Amino acid sequence: MGNKSRLFRAVDVLLIVMMILPIAAAITLKVLTTPPGEGITITGARILLTIPMPVQDLLITESQVNSWLVMISIFALFLFMTHGLKVKADTKRQLAVEWIVQKVEGLVRENMGDYFHGFAPFIAAILALSAFSSLLSLFGLYPPTSDLNVTAGWAILVFLIITYYKCKCGPVYYLKGFLEPVAFLAPINFISEFATPVSMAFRHYGNVLSGTVVSTLIAAALAGLTRIVLGWLPGFLGDIPFLRLGLPAILSIYFDIFSGCLQAFIFAMLSMMFISGAFPMEDYFARQAKKKAKQK
Amino acid sequence: MQTLDVISVNLWDILISLGNLLLLYWLAKRFLFKPVQRVLARRQEELDAQYANAAQAEAEARENRALWESKLSGATDEANAILQNAVDTARNREARILADAQNRAEGIVSAARAEAELEMQNAADGVRRSIVEVSGALTEKMLGREINTEDHARLIDSFLQDMGERND
Repeated sequence: MGNKSRLFRAVDVLLIVMMILPIAAAITLKVLTTPPGEGITITGARILLTIPMPVQDLLITESQVNSWLVMISIFALFLFMTHGLKVKADTKRQLAVEWIVQKVEGLVRENMGDYFHGFAPFIAAILALSAFSSLLSLFGLYPPTSDLNVTAGWAILVFLIITYYKCKCGPVYYLKGFLEPVAFLAPINFISEFATPVSMAFRHYGNVLSGTVVSTLIAAALAGLTRIVLGWLPGFLGDIPFLRLGLPAILSIYFDIFSGCLQAFIFAMLSMMFISGAFPMEDYFARQAKKKAKQK
Repeated sequence: MQTLDVISVNLWDILISLGNLLLLYWLAKRFLFKPVQRVLARRQEELDAQYANAAQAEAEARENRALWESKLSGATDEANAILQNAVDTARNREARILADAQNRAEGIVSAARAEAELEMQNAADGVRRSIVEVSGALTEKMLGREINTEDHARLIDSFLQDMGERND
């Protein structure tokens, strides 16, 4: 360990700073923009900037900013993890990053098949972005995943990929798919087609938001309970919500850590299932073979 | 400060978030998966090369072993031949030495015997002469006169001859 050059260490430190700094910046931003004496309210993300655009104004909100900061952190994490990779692995860091990459590749291969192995970075991106966004709430920040627009964007991207793979055998084949198994089910098929991204977006957003809502409500309730039970304490002691100790922390383990990671995993799993399920592989290869035969 | 509604849909925000995921996908592909996969592939290559080397080394070792084994068995034969040769030579020399010694011993013995015979002959002659002289002198005395020495010697000789013949 001691034979690393000074430059290597400097880059390491720089990358770690690059990982931490965005979080610190987000906290600073939150502190600076939080109006004093705000009571307990449940609202969407704060709008930091409004840019007039056609159709709808472009709103730069807390969730957008936090997403970007999380992405910078994740990018720094990638660079940190892959910094100083060697053919002969001798650092825990390299073992960890190899384990992560191989695990994600294994997950993708297992759920999507070998044809889709190129999706590993995409799934890794979903997992990382979703999990780290949700985990932002650990720092008291606004988790971008509790903004419907964010998860909707991801779900729409997944939907586009699904549709792309469904159309691989040509648009006629795709449209015919709506008439399966019987023609009059077409409207229901059509609805279920669009239900996929909607349900994915709402599932993720709703889970994270509900965690925030429940946590907030319980915190408020505990503050009220403290005022009733311990309000007789003299001076400022009466204002301290003692009963908030304990329970919110345990709930936070569930809502912030467990639920955040679980939702990331669920979103990734559903993406894999839908994308690989959408591809009519046998028909596609049969078509390709026929095309080839025709060309000859 | 303004906030979004809890459920609000903004087209641009959706597009931004879609772009964010695409961007992170590219980042993950370019900066996480590619380097790791490259390293893993290179490691696999090295591993394959080492296996190939090991196989080659083993084949060479086997070849060498066969070579040395054949050489070793040849050496045993050679050693046996040398030993046999040495034994034969030694045996030959032994036989020769023994024969030589035998010859020489026989020579010595026969020479000794010849000498002894010669000596015996000499001694017998001496004794005969002495007897002749003594008997001559004796006879001279007894007869009181000089006898012809030559006749006398002849007489004694014939006597001794008779004696000798009788003794034989």
